[in-house]
Amino acid sequence: MTPLTFELKINPGFPLDISPLIPDLLSTQSKIQIKSIPITHNKEKIPAAELFTITGNDHKNICIHSNNGKLYNVGQKMSFGTIEVKGDVGDFLGQEMQGGYIKVHGNARAWAGCSMTGGRIDIAGDTGDHAGAGIPGDAHGMSKGMIYISGNAGDRVGDRMRRGIIIIGGKAGNYCGSRMYAGTIIVLDKTGKYAGVAMKRGTIILAKKPAHIYATFESCGIQEMEFLRLLFTQLSAMGKEFSIFGKFRPEAHRYSGDHSRNGKGEILIL
Amino acid sequence: MYDPIHGINGEQRNIYIRDGFITTKPATSVRIDRNYDLNDMIIMAGAIDIHTHIGGGKVNIARMMLPEDHRGDPVARTAITRSGSGYTAPSTFATGYRYAEMGYTTCIEPAMLPANARHAHMEMADIPIIDKGAYALLGNDDFFLRMLASGKDRSLICDYVSWIINATKAIGIKVVNPGGISAFKFNQRKLDLDETNSHYGVTPRQILITLARAVRELGIPHPLHVHGCNLGVPGNLLTTLDTIRAAEGLPMHLAHIQFHSYGTEGDRKFSSGSAHIAEAVNANSNISIDVGQILFGQTVTASGDTMLQYAGHRHAHPNKWVIMDIECDAGCGVVPFKYRDKSFVNALQWTIGLELFLLVNDPWRIFLTTDHPNGAPFTSYPHLIRLLMDRSFRNDMLSTIHKQAAAVSILGSLDREYSLYEIAIMTRAAPARSLGLQNRGHLGAGAAADITVYKNLKNREAMFAKPVYVFKDGELVARNGKIIKVINGSTHILKPEYDKGIEKTLKNYFDKYHTMKLDHFKINDDEIVAHGNGNIIVQSCM
Repeated sequence: MTPLTFELKINPGFPLDISPLIPDLLSTQSKIQIKSIPITHNKEKIPAAELFTITGNDHKNICIHSNNGKLYNVGQKMSFGTIEVKGDVGDFLGQEMQGGYIKVHGNARAWAGCSMTGGRIDIAGDTGDHAGAGIPGDAHGMSKGMIYISGNAGDRVGDRMRRGIIIIGGKAGNYCGSRMYAGTIIVLDKTGKYAGVAMKRGTIILAKKPAHIYATFESCGIQEMEFLRLLFTQLSAMGKEFSIFGKFRPEAHRYSGDHSRNGKGEILIL
Repeated sequence: MYDPIHGINGEQRNIYIRDGFITTKPATSVRIDRNYDLNDMIIMAGAIDIHTHIGGGKVNIARMMLPEDHRGDPVARTAITRSGSGYTAPSTFATGYRYAEMGYTTCIEPAMLPANARHAHMEMADIPIIDKGAYALLGNDDFFLRMLASGKDRSLICDYVSWIINATKAIGIKVVNPGGISAFKFNQRKLDLDETNSHYGVTPRQILITLARAVRELGIPHPLHVHGCNLGVPGNLLTTLDTIRAAEGLPMHLAHIQFHSYGTEGDRKFSSGSAHIAEAVNANSNISIDVGQILFGQTVTASGDTMLQYAGHRHAHPNKWVIMDIECDAGCGVVPFKYRDKSFVNALQWTIGLELFLLVNDPWRIFLTTDHPNGAPFTSYPHLIRLLMDRSFRNDMLSTIHKQAAAVSILGSLDREYSLYEIAIMTRAAPARSLGLQNRGHLGAGAAADITVYKNLKNREAMFAKPVYVFKDGELVARNGKIIKVINGSTHILKPEYDKGIEKTLKNYFDKYHTMKLDHFKINDDEIVAHGNGNIIVQSCM
């Protein structure tokens, strides 16, 4: 069985909403039905076959070849299966995703994994702002699952995040983990200003000391934590991309905050 | 044809429409432009909703607070209709289209705060097709309570009430938790009918009787619209019976009475008081009620009653809520809520509403409402009508709710089924008469040509959900439940008389305490009709 592959034929002038291309919907449909799925492009609905060359027969594992970042809503609300994207994707990657696995070999734009409630998203390149945040107006952001960004992330990573893990291999922008309710964000390179501002609970782990820590965070000194040992052991066992966690010691400089809210969150600097 | 105001009960008649009005049979020389063959169909006047929260600050807060409601129910634009969204708190355009598609042609917003009246009217101006109107909210405002506390003359209070109706372009007066919204701000969390407001020293009973008297003396057709004390509190049945007695024979309309008909019997200290309430309503011809039926599902409760909304905020679903003060004159509470058929309390609330419908004998004094959106969105009216007209359907639904609630309810033993004539009374003739809308709610010569034509289906829900034709002011606006023409409805207002001398007192008060000047507070007719937003119809006082 080869993955059901969608190869973009055209160079779209407008965003392409490909939210119907998820295993939940495709696994129940025949090849002919899939070819006629309407895809929203600008104001029109175009059958999928006019936009993509469709090959393969495994409807639970989908591969999408993209030549630019115009594909929006990739894997929206998917609950099982895998989606692999060769190329860049646009906004709202894995929005409200409930389960399954998305792998993007290029970059993703803003709102990656926003309001997701399960599953895992791996992004080999960079992402825009609001990764793992909540849809505007929602009380909470991402509430379960895992996002692994190998490159850099934009501002407001994990804004209003409720649960789950976000790991950023590169740099994170400003307001990392702002208004967080709970969950874990790990940044292995530099972080911008205002990390954790207005966070209620949750943990932000920074491998490098940020240039700026907000005034409402208070230093608790250097501590050795069993939690970190467990976390690092678990993560390093998850795959070779996480082998770096095997090298960290379970010791961190702990800042508690945000004390302008209730101060039950923490920033840990390794 | 069903036209209860003229006693027409299912007779075959012709209707002639000319220039937006129903006329008598024209001379044979007059050319008829268009004929509609309505054989085997049911013809009624356009329906009137006497109590539906469709405009004003609280609806907007509900919209802002529930983005998921709007994401979950998008309405695309068509060539003639505009886009919108929202199921429990729909956008203005969606509200107008959905009401018109169901054959409703007049809707009254029951809680327009005078300080917010301009906003409410602007929002209602955006609601297409249907006619609008609003009750001005009094009874918790500082100026009125001060007058009452200092024992001001009755005529002065009448002048103030009349001035408010004129200034805010209202069609009636509503009082919400009389004195209770104000008492909440002075840290009282409960206010019974004879309990005094700790700051002003006045009781809800005084407020009710004063306002009811003023409404009567001014000749306002719609009786004082009362949202009483202790809404939703188990045992409030006694308060409601006291309130009926407190009216002292004056006309009074008790809104969403289902929420005021709870007893404290049984293991769970929550029981139905419908039998007592219905008995009292049947015995007091000065009382009219609307039910405020709940139907299961997600909705949002929006009320001026901050006291009760604060008490209910713990049940918010999803967990977010707003309680706010508005200009120190009243308040506003918005709490999203999900009624569950497997919850004892919710299931019993459902049966209480239906019991009230079936136990109150006179359909002229009971109106069909869900207190949109508090009990359920107005789009569930066809379902509710089927529950009333179809006993076996009702009993089927009864068997699906919480077992104990179904067991303690007398609903299963009630055989009454509403007839089409009674439905026509309850949703057309009676509201028009109660509101004093002279040329609405009937099909006689001179009436506005607001006509709804239904297919006579056995499934009443399907029948009332999608009328075959809906005419508004003589224009065919909807066909088979789809909008085919968009026009702007009118705004119904009253202009009762008052002594201009009151403005002097009010001006001093406004200059001293209010956030705006007296002259800015008053709404001009032109503001409502501006930009082609439909005209104003001034109804006459009695």
